[in-house]
Amino acid sequence: MEAKRGIFEKLFWTWTPKTEREAGDSVVRNLLLHWFPAKVTNASLSFGYSFWLGTISAVLFALLALTGMILMFLYVPSVERAYQSIKDIEFAVAFGWYLRGVHRISAHLMVAVVFLHMVRVFLTGAYRNGVAVHQNRPLNWIIGVALLLCTLLLSFTGYLLPWDQLAYWAIMVGTNIASAAPVVGERIRFVLLGGNTIDQNTLIRFYVLHCFFLPVAVLFLFVWHMWRIRKDHGLACVDRLARTQKRIAAIVPTKTYSLLGVAKGRTVHVEASLVDEESETVPSSPNLTQRLLVVTLVTVVAVSLLAIALPTPLEEAANPKVTPNPAKAPWYFLWLQELVTDTTIHLGGFTVNGAFVGGILIPGLIVAGLIVWPFLDRSPVSAAGVWFAAARRRQNTIFLLLVLAVLVLTIIGTFLRGPFWHFYWPWDAWPEAPKHF
Amino acid sequence: MKSLKRWLAKAGPAEKPEGSPCEKGATRRTLFHKIGVGSLLSGIAGLCYAMMRPLVPDVLYEQARRFKAGAPDSFPEGATFLEDQRVFVFRRDKTFHAISAVCTHLGCTVKMVNLNQPKTVQIGGKPVEVHYEFACPCHGSKYYGDGTNYAGPAPKPLEWYKLAVSPDDGALVVDLSEPVDKNFRLTV
Repeated sequence: MEAKRGIFEKLFWTWTPKTEREAGDSVVRNLLLHWFPAKVTNASLSFGYSFWLGTISAVLFALLALTGMILMFLYVPSVERAYQSIKDIEFAVAFGWYLRGVHRISAHLMVAVVFLHMVRVFLTGAYRNGVAVHQNRPLNWIIGVALLLCTLLLSFTGYLLPWDQLAYWAIMVGTNIASAAPVVGERIRFVLLGGNTIDQNTLIRFYVLHCFFLPVAVLFLFVWHMWRIRKDHGLACVDRLARTQKRIAAIVPTKTYSLLGVAKGRTVHVEASLVDEESETVPSSPNLTQRLLVVTLVTVVAVSLLAIALPTPLEEAANPKVTPNPAKAPWYFLWLQELVTDTTIHLGGFTVNGAFVGGILIPGLIVAGLIVWPFLDRSPVSAAGVWFAAARRRQNTIFLLLVLAVLVLTIIGTFLRGPFWHFYWPWDAWPEAPKHF
Repeated sequence: MKSLKRWLAKAGPAEKPEGSPCEKGATRRTLFHKIGVGSLLSGIAGLCYAMMRPLVPDVLYEQARRFKAGAPDSFPEGATFLEDQRVFVFRRDKTFHAISAVCTHLGCTVKMVNLNQPKTVQIGGKPVEVHYEFACPCHGSKYYGDGTNYAGPAPKPLEWYKLAVSPDDGALVVDLSEPVDKNFRLTV
């Protein structure tokens, strides 16, 4: 007999199911939880395996969407009023400083967390297919790379909106990098700017990209990302668990239990679960839901505290007449700024602009490398789903060296560059640099 | 009408007589199918074009690339920075020339740095004494006083622009759309 359900349980789900049936119902009967599996392995829930970085990114995105939607009521996307409206948000609107702070901190953290999520997936080899049929984890890795790129584009388009000096000169440099692309570069810059100069057309373009197209792209990719995880039978650590069990038991329980098995006409015998359900899995409700709640709360609290503790900077109003000295991008783009600085190639009378080499070629090769890597990876499947597997030592080392290179360039750009982009140690005083000319 | 019905009735592959050319697949139905799909795709392509094309502006309300910068006599000896147009105008007695302040690397505005001591540098194989140079705050490109790039990521020298005297009021006219070489001088 079905347990009596209160109004909360009817609308949502029970956090304290009495039976496995009730626990399963929470997932099956509820729209919000329907995308979860009914049962989930303890291995997948482990904090030490995934650090829940994907979930944290999703929570940060939700926070960004929430605060962003409110900020849209307060911000005016016009070159005359954008800067003043940000000042109003900061100093005149009730809790405006908090909204903007949460939006900014979440954005910074999202870049960091999505990046770390990618590092985690690489180091655990979690883009490898395991033992279940119809897995396509390389595709999900590619979706993840697209999500990282969308996150960076969201950040870029976002910090342009205050229309301060940072915004103006970032557009100048960013769109000039685009124009360094062969053949179509100038055309791309023209379309991005909506003309030849940075003006109202440019602001409204980046505003629409930031508030509509990119978030919708992230939402779509996020849904696809989650759906693929279900189709891939969960995280890679589950496959690892399944392999271990198979070695021990050599038999995995099979059932003839649904049309899913014959949908592709392969077999009517479908593995009920990759792993021994009794010993390795727990109901998603409340084991997954509770952890989700904890991760969400911790993320929200951390972001709130950081938003209160750290001031949200705003540079001087955009001034096309004066380039700040030094003109620095936000920290997550400083490795690129350093790269375009160092990569102009002079060969005799022939010169290749660093804007192309460091701004397009090298980042393009990095993205292309990330996309094809799962297809080139020849490490044994047994090395997937575990941190720092011995069989993956070489590729993990190369990957970490690349990560280190990005970090070193970021640190150089952040702490060791001064006026005219000269190199200064942190303890060196910067000279007085001319303001105008 | 009857003939049309008869013609349409013949269209399907189910009706085709054995051994007819229809066996090769070239039925009226496949033709209509191709026309239909083709029209649909053309329609979608046209729609996409009509939706994307407005994003490429046809009319721009930007500053003119050719502008009057004031009477030549109003320029002091040495450099004057026209900040709205990002160009340096240099006067040496009665001769003028103009050098762009837009860095050739990624478009930031270079700053003019007066040297404490004049230095002699090799430009194009010739020794030249320079009193000032240009430096870019974004990525550290450096240029000699004549715009020749010598350090940092700048791939080419700063542009020189054509100067002229307006026939109507004698004002100095700067033309940012007309680059000139480094021998260009306007004598007023």
